[in-house]
Amino acid sequence: MLGSVERDLARRALDTARTRGATYADVRFVRRAVEDVLVKNAHLENVDRSDTYGFSVRAIADGAWGFAASPVLTADEADRVAALAVEIARASALTKREDARLADVTPVTATYTTPIEIDPWTMRFDERVQLLLDAATAMHKAQPGLRTTRATYEIWKEEKLFLSSEGADIAQTLYETGASIAAESVGNGEQQIRTYPGSGGRSQNTAGWEYALRWDLVGNAPRIADEAVALLTAKQCPQDIRTSVILSSNQLMLQCHESCGHPIELDRALGTEAAFAGTSFLTPDRLGSFRYGSEQVNIAIDSTRKGGLGTFGYDDEGVPASEGWAVKDGIFVGYLMSRETAASLGTGSNGTMRADGWARLPLIRMTNVSVMPGSAGTLEDLIADTDDGIYMDTNRSWSIDDRRLNFQFGTQVGWEIKNGKRTTMLRNPTYTGITPEFWGSCDAVCSESEWVMWGTPNCGKGQPGQVGHTGHGAAPARFRDVRVGVVG
Amino acid sequence: MKTEAIASAVTIGEPALRSICDAVLKAADGDQAEAVVVARNAALTRFANGAIHQNVVSREADLRIRVVRGKRVAMVTTDRLDPDGIRRATEDASDLARSAPENPTFGGLPGDRGIRAAPSAFVERTADATPTDRARAAKQLCDAARAASLSAAGYVSTNVQELAIANSLGVWAYAPATTSDVELAALGGAGSAFAQRIALDFGALDVAGCAREAVAKATAAQRPRDLPPGTYEVVLEPYAVRDIVSFLGSQLTGLAVEEGRSFVTAKLGQKVTGDVTLVDDPFDAEGLPRSFDLEGQPSERLTLIERGVAKAVVYDSQTAYRTGQKNTGHALPPNPFQPSAPMHLRLEPGTKSRDDLIRESKRAVLVTRFWYTRWVHQLRTIVTGMTRDGTFAIEDGEIAYPVKNFRFTQSYHEALAGTLGIGSDLALLVPGEQFGLQLSSYRVPALRLAAFAFTGATQY
Repeated sequence: MLGSVERDLARRALDTARTRGATYADVRFVRRAVEDVLVKNAHLENVDRSDTYGFSVRAIADGAWGFAASPVLTADEADRVAALAVEIARASALTKREDARLADVTPVTATYTTPIEIDPWTMRFDERVQLLLDAATAMHKAQPGLRTTRATYEIWKEEKLFLSSEGADIAQTLYETGASIAAESVGNGEQQIRTYPGSGGRSQNTAGWEYALRWDLVGNAPRIADEAVALLTAKQCPQDIRTSVILSSNQLMLQCHESCGHPIELDRALGTEAAFAGTSFLTPDRLGSFRYGSEQVNIAIDSTRKGGLGTFGYDDEGVPASEGWAVKDGIFVGYLMSRETAASLGTGSNGTMRADGWARLPLIRMTNVSVMPGSAGTLEDLIADTDDGIYMDTNRSWSIDDRRLNFQFGTQVGWEIKNGKRTTMLRNPTYTGITPEFWGSCDAVCSESEWVMWGTPNCGKGQPGQVGHTGHGAAPARFRDVRVGVVG
Repeated sequence: MKTEAIASAVTIGEPALRSICDAVLKAADGDQAEAVVVARNAALTRFANGAIHQNVVSREADLRIRVVRGKRVAMVTTDRLDPDGIRRATEDASDLARSAPENPTFGGLPGDRGIRAAPSAFVERTADATPTDRARAAKQLCDAARAASLSAAGYVSTNVQELAIANSLGVWAYAPATTSDVELAALGGAGSAFAQRIALDFGALDVAGCAREAVAKATAAQRPRDLPPGTYEVVLEPYAVRDIVSFLGSQLTGLAVEEGRSFVTAKLGQKVTGDVTLVDDPFDAEGLPRSFDLEGQPSERLTLIERGVAKAVVYDSQTAYRTGQKNTGHALPPNPFQPSAPMHLRLEPGTKSRDDLIRESKRAVLVTRFWYTRWVHQLRTIVTGMTRDGTFAIEDGEIAYPVKNFRFTQSYHEALAGTLGIGSDLALLVPGEQFGLQLSSYRVPALRLAAFAFTGATQY
């Protein structure tokens, strides 16, 4: 963990900020090591290891905010950056309409480390790479005609030190591991993709190398390869119909991310993301009374749950991890909050402020926002309970409006459901809807045995842009009367 | 400590960057080595609800080291630029390259091919901008919106960046650059509008013009009506056109063709759009000129689409090697997903003013910008997304009334097949940071297109 050198510089920066007139200041040191490896077409295409290390000062002066950051770790630079943060805060006051206010938090001295079973940073490099080479080989062996295959992992270690002018002193070490495979096919005027276990880049958790091993990438590689090829000649998804849809666990997690996770960010709801990310239909006047979904829908905000990408000891304002609800029995009941936005609601922060490294300002970010399991049994039970519909698996396309109401998603693959059985494979499935209507049509969520904690390591927000790592637990769920197969 | 000393955007400078790169090349244990330094001082003043709420400055510098041993390649990035940090990162890259499995498709680092001079993209006045300068510009925008009973949200930004590239085959490239930009969303109780301005010179940044455009349009955008989804003729403002050019540009690459997901795969020389011409021009003095790519290779000016006919795609060294094509000098930082891109796209102007395009439309939809656009089907360039911040019905050649936002699901290159008119004025637009740099720019006109598929609507 970061130690006395960083702590001394942090204290110096806090003193400088106070001397310059800051009424509040905090300092974050962050050292992040990341290794990304990608095997393409069974050859090692990319090995990229990075080590970034720096600090930032956030200050309130004249009732307004300033922030400055630097990778230069000297006493002079600590003074310069602290003074600059205060100067920026004073400039911000030029447009101030009211003083920045922070909800109370008890300052603590604490440490936190992600519990892991296998430390990937102590393994040999070739041991890690071999998993990808084996998975890629298995894909090509199953389907030699695949146009492109990819197998990738990312390992991550972030050491953080947070000190505030209120007396907080918190050191944390967070580990993450993610892995995935992808098979792409081209032909018949089509280009198709299948990925596993999640969509796009990787599924990732706060975990050690055990997370890469749990998915059996090699064992699943032939199935993914076969499906990618089969999609080229699969039946086109029916166009512009209404039917029942069952979403896979990994698709429901993205649905939750986009249509619940973002609209419950209180900064959006209060308008401070209006020009870029947008606002939210979940306005404060709806808190506690608005029907977000059916009674089957329970969505938790939980930064304590093992493995989630939003799992930590304390957020980047020194607020402890917490458990709560965003949606309970279908009613909207909770936001993701910072100390400042919580104060505007007259409540305390639930600890969701996180920054993308040392050079960026903490923002409200999803922690682990999860659709909690229901009682519909297994996926096969849910399909057996469905007379007519489509099962859609693994995201391919996602889009939602700037208030998070109108969405349209596509998945990599679908299957028709007829009389309780999964039947014909469908290509290019899409579905669209309006958020509260869609969640209102949810009539079944699978049980705990189908629930998986997924991770999205690519959530964009903020200006300058930041990439957030968010966790989402989900189980397959069924939605009725959904518009499917939108085409232009 | 003086204010200027703590706030100025200090550059590292060419001699110091050369020295860092030389230290890497000297310490690297391999057959070939490359050092790239990206240094930047990014300042962004963000406002919402009529007041500044986020105001940041960060000084950052990353050194990326690539070491090659035969067909074994590894990369290490660090922001420790002191001698010990450089040595440790170079050793790490050398060790990784030793243990990495071979990549038989790797073609070696590119050699020195000479670099033409491009117009300077560095303006001292932008580098000297202070937090107070940015706050004053933000206040000007907030005040303009408030005077029209609107709320302001957006940002004012100044950026200084330096890019230095060296490799053991003799490549050396260095370019400093500045940008300043301002963005305003003017929001009323029932409708909003958006405007943006970009300039290399902060002193020439048209803050007042940005305010005028957004405020006037937002005032007209209040109380939008329902218009049923369907296929409409459209007039697209440059902000929306940029999205189309960006998506299509991302497919005009050697890798997209190699992987069979480009709409021009096996169609070079064939008509793929309507009568539009798209060029990538690294020497365009009205854009963000830079004459070399992220491997230090000379960037060519390329006509990608000429009057609707697909003519060329861009290449980096590795894709060019694998596919037997010429390297056009369009490399991004080495990465497996998008190793090259056209970074200076210009959709050539037409002869009509934006108002002419509206006047010639009998019944159409005017779109200010698109939002949350994503591929539905890359090969067919089908994209879905929303309209945002100013959507209007055009009737009998005039903007008739604001309409609620649409969702669209549309093939972008097929939309261009129905090009009815091209604006004569080009707007300079930028996409935001990529790989820690302001890498790309677009110069695009307004467009009038015959058909655009709006497949859904939202409630505002």
